[in-house]
Amino acid sequence: MTVTQRSSLLVRTISTPIILIVILILIAVIAKLVGSGPFSRTVVEMFIRVMLVAGLYIFVGNSGVISFGHIGFMCIGAYAAAWFTIPPAMKAVTLQGLPDFLAQAQLPIFLSAALAGLLAAIFALVVGRIMMRLAGIAASIATFAMLAVINVVYSNWDSVTGGTGSIVGIPFYTGIWTALGGAILVVIIAYLYQISRSGLALRAGRDEATAAAASGIDIVRERLIAFVISAFTIGVAGALYGHFLGVVNPDAFYLGLTFITLSMLVVGGMNSLSGAVIGVIVISTIIQILRWLEKGIDLGGATLSIPNGLQEITIGLVMIIILMFRPAGLTRGREIVWRFGPWASKPSTAGEVAVSKNGA
Amino acid sequence: MTAILQIIFDALSLGSLYAIGALGIALIFGVMRLVNFAHGDYISFCVFAMLWPSIDAAAVVFAGNLPTFILIPLILAIGAGLSVLSEILVFRRFRNANPATMMIASFALGFVLKHFLLMLFSSRPKSIDLWSNLSLPVEVAGARIPLLQVITIVITILILLGLTAFLKRTRFGLEMRAAAENFTMARMLGVKANRVIMLAFAISGMLAAAIGLILATQSGTADIQMGVSVMLVAFIATVIGGLGSLPGAVIAGFLIGGVSVLMQVILPLDARPFRDAFVYGAVIACLIWRPQGLFAPKSAKQRV
Amino acid sequence: MTILSVDGITVRYGRLTALRQASLKVDEGETLFITGPNGAGKSTLLKAIAGVVPVAEGAITLDGKVISGGSPEDTARLGFSMVPEGRHVFGSLTIEENLMLGAGMRKDRARAGDDLAAVYEVFPMLKERRDKPAGVLSGGQQQMLVIGRALMTGPRLIAIDEPSLGLAPKVIDQVYETLLELRDKRGLTLVIVEQSSTRAMMTGGRMLLLRSGEIVLEGDARSLARGDTLKKAYFGYGEH
Repeated sequence: MTVTQRSSLLVRTISTPIILIVILILIAVIAKLVGSGPFSRTVVEMFIRVMLVAGLYIFVGNSGVISFGHIGFMCIGAYAAAWFTIPPAMKAVTLQGLPDFLAQAQLPIFLSAALAGLLAAIFALVVGRIMMRLAGIAASIATFAMLAVINVVYSNWDSVTGGTGSIVGIPFYTGIWTALGGAILVVIIAYLYQISRSGLALRAGRDEATAAAASGIDIVRERLIAFVISAFTIGVAGALYGHFLGVVNPDAFYLGLTFITLSMLVVGGMNSLSGAVIGVIVISTIIQILRWLEKGIDLGGATLSIPNGLQEITIGLVMIIILMFRPAGLTRGREIVWRFGPWASKPSTAGEVAVSKNGA
Repeated sequence: MTAILQIIFDALSLGSLYAIGALGIALIFGVMRLVNFAHGDYISFCVFAMLWPSIDAAAVVFAGNLPTFILIPLILAIGAGLSVLSEILVFRRFRNANPATMMIASFALGFVLKHFLLMLFSSRPKSIDLWSNLSLPVEVAGARIPLLQVITIVITILILLGLTAFLKRTRFGLEMRAAAENFTMARMLGVKANRVIMLAFAISGMLAAAIGLILATQSGTADIQMGVSVMLVAFIATVIGGLGSLPGAVIAGFLIGGVSVLMQVILPLDARPFRDAFVYGAVIACLIWRPQGLFAPKSAKQRV
Repeated sequence: MTILSVDGITVRYGRLTALRQASLKVDEGETLFITGPNGAGKSTLLKAIAGVVPVAEGAITLDGKVISGGSPEDTARLGFSMVPEGRHVFGSLTIEENLMLGAGMRKDRARAGDDLAAVYEVFPMLKERRDKPAGVLSGGQQQMLVIGRALMTGPRLIAIDEPSLGLAPKVIDQVYETLLELRDKRGLTLVIVEQSSTRAMMTGGRMLLLRSGEIVLEGDARSLARGDTLKKAYFGYGEH
């Protein structure tokens, strides 16, 4: 692809990340204006999930391979952040098995988050070199096995991870703006990857495996690149999550979160970045509304509330119903684009772009 | 010698659960390419069905107090009914959807079932008294083996024999095998899609119920989580066995059970807590070695 | 008497239109060849009739009953037996199981045994190996098996997609011989898709040419082949 082609692709598709980022900023501003504690926490959690799901999208959306393993990278990132930032005096008591350089360390938050992402990325590179040869359901199972291995190791390596108990003492840092920054960062990374040569090649391979292979695309290599980048973003998300909760424990990073993030991606539409972000926003909003209903809303003196537990049942049913009517997700795998005025983009899916560019 | 016998029985009885679970998942996958994540929740549902309507912590078993010859068919029927109902209400509408969408839909259904049980019974595990005299040991060639282990293995063998006979000797079985291999072609020969799929769901649900009965008897408790862990291993077994291959799923189920028990014995003491990490590591190695599964049917190569 | 009638059907795969406003009629007991270049929509036409791909517009009637919008099994049960391209034997089932699968929907199951005997008479090779898995058969033998299996459904019309694909000429002769014999003996209606028109010329019957999703030519196979109308229509020159 030539430079002109690339820049024209950039111009045609740039409205998507801009719109998504504007939506995220608007949500942050609203949360600040409302100012309620619980609501802010919900919004922070939502931003972190945007990081997770958009990060997951980098691999799953572009390659078409469902991964059950990415929450393992979050686990790695969160624990790394704990190792880097908990005051040494506390670590000496709770995590006696840490090597000296970690036991003594107390890094600045952002450096720690970057290193946490890097650690996850390096891990992904090592295991990915073996696993990315697999495709389809075998690859999905392998990623699940990877998650299980990470979970078992972090649950039992007591001297370094504190075992199944929680590690406390991670500095609280993540608020709305930090989380927003993280979400924007991941959206930008995901967008840049999507229009990169590797991203286009991977999408071409997803849609037309034989044709892509025939035109010399090394699917395994491109998959590995996507795997490593998405591991980095999710590792960083894990670090921010640690600084949000102040505690980490291995079971927070297991099947529950894996399925919630995957569901958000599929409900939103797993073939587009917009789908990833919209999926998080829609599901999070529904969850929040149901939580309010569960607590009870005041209707002119009478309190209307739904029984406990109905929230989860409802969210499950809503997901099933959305998928029934939109099997390809809310966005149907298309990107949100600006269609008005001089900057109007042609509506098209990134997949189509990838295929036509590849053929050109 | 007796120690080895004990290990063999441990491996076989654990493998039995995984094998029956894998069979239940593989049956559905065969006919509609659905990885049914709700399967584990069918198992839990069947266990809790024995408690209903009692929700006390020390469960006054209602259905569980029924005589055995009524209880077992009843629970099997509940499993089959739940499974068939989920096909009619949910999965039927996803026949043409892509596998990821179906998978997430099945997960969402499992989520609904699980929280339905939580709402009724709360998350605290409940004790359940079901054939407790079965945990008494019996003497087998000098080793003391819990009677329940022997029964579990015998029941599994009976299930496998029964299912094989059904698949090989009956018209329904013929249609199911054909549908699992090439569904569209089978339909073009007049095989009724809905009937075959509903039958597969019914059998799969009964297998889930069988696991529920065995698990409840073994552990003496009813726990919301109990089905999921079996389901995950069973799911892995279906893939390792070669998706679409029923014998493969069964063998892989026993294989994973065997490897788990063996690791527990041969790993050094320090490494034992990490046993499952070794088992899952072996799973990855196995997939790299044979991505199509150990016993993939010839037709699987083009399809998966 | 018309047994199958296709009225202006359109089939789309996503945004791609594979078949546009196609209409045709098939009379009982006749042989209809459908030919045309790669990607012309020949297989799509058969699949649409069989109910495997949905029809966007138009209607298909079999024996006076509307079958478009129905399921493949319903169409099969009305006497339309499809032999799709690529043969599709059930490799893990035995040869006899493959055949018996076809007999499942017949109301007169007692006759299934007679039919089996009849199929074995036509294809003695299948009888010899009845307990072997069908996956071990050669390409030509598999073609025999799928035709035999289609016969087991007790069809009034058999549609075959590319029966000669990947077969040796001698085997092709054998396949056609069998088909025509069945047509004459049992009054079967044959719809045969072939990419080349040579067979149609040799065999005779009606021929229909599809190009880019449209029926562009129709007529008697032998007379069409004589002039160069067919060649022109096939390759699409002389129009623009």
